[in-house]
Amino acid sequence: MKRVMGMIVGLALCCAAARGYGQDAKIQLDSLNKLSDKAARVTDVTLDGSLLQFAVNMIEKADDGDEDVAQLKSIMKNLKGIYVKSFEFDEASQYSKADVESVRSQITARWTKIVQSIDKRSNEHDEIYLLKSGSGEHVAGVLILVAEPKELTVVNIVGDVPVEKISSLEHHFVINDRDSGKKQKKEKSHDEE
Amino acid sequence: MHFSEDDLREALKRKDPGEGFTQRVMARVEQAKAEGKTKPANGNGNRSFLAWWRLRPAWTFAVVALLLLGFAWGGYQYSEYRHGEEMRIAAEKQRQMEEKQKELQAEAEKAKAQAILALEIARAKLNHVLQQAQVPVGIDKIRRQRL
Repeated sequence: MKRVMGMIVGLALCCAAARGYGQDAKIQLDSLNKLSDKAARVTDVTLDGSLLQFAVNMIEKADDGDEDVAQLKSIMKNLKGIYVKSFEFDEASQYSKADVESVRSQITARWTKIVQSIDKRSNEHDEIYLLKSGSGEHVAGVLILVAEPKELTVVNIVGDVPVEKISSLEHHFVINDRDSGKKQKKEKSHDEE
Repeated sequence: MHFSEDDLREALKRKDPGEGFTQRVMARVEQAKAEGKTKPANGNGNRSFLAWWRLRPAWTFAVVALLLLGFAWGGYQYSEYRHGEEMRIAAEKQRQMEEKQKELQAEAEKAKAQAILALEIARAKLNHVLQQAQVPVGIDKIRRQRL
């Protein structure tokens, strides 16, 4: 009886740990929503759960002969969530350090900063973080933070992210398929017209 | 008002019905008998109605046939109505399913476009940061070194 209880407790702890890792990999970006009013262009992508599954299914249905599609499939298959917030401003200093800090403060000790670039001349601060999985063999999440004077972009990808594949994704493929995605973008200039 | 015993005795004492009472009663009885004979009895009426039908069997068959035809036509019309209703409900369900399918397809297309957009931004920013950091090697190598 004690053995069974021990197994149940162990299983529950494993589930809690796995859930904890999943939650750690997702960074809350809602605090940046207030910048939407100031931004000339906002790109906001939130894909997780069933929506992400829809996207994966759609990509899987695509032509198998295409190398880019195959690469896209291999990137998408182990992802659990994709969250992007990108704000482009007409003028500099439209966002504060506190806005960036609201994202950075969620990065726990399990995250590893793999790249940091600070350019004081152009006032640009870029960082890339990786979150290791429990076993340490896989990536559980990626955070890309790009803070430029007129642009703030945060990309948070949850799941086993093949970073090298994303980095080498063919630009033309993405651009071709991006036309429909552009509709998601809010362009202030259009609103003003 | 009070009645004395004498008043009651006076009121209830025998009275002579007068001459011809028996004749009057008998005359009434005769009259009642005569009236009873002239009124047609209900049983007699039904009997005459059945007799009329017995005399006209063709009419009976015609009415029965008409009733059967009416029932058959009504049944056919009802089955047609039910069939039509079933077809209409099936068509409505089909239309709803197609609409739902279209909605799901549109949602999936939108999700795909968003995923591609997100990956494009991720790719662009990743390469931008690597370029800014002047990292000449691939990100996989960096990752392996740091992990």
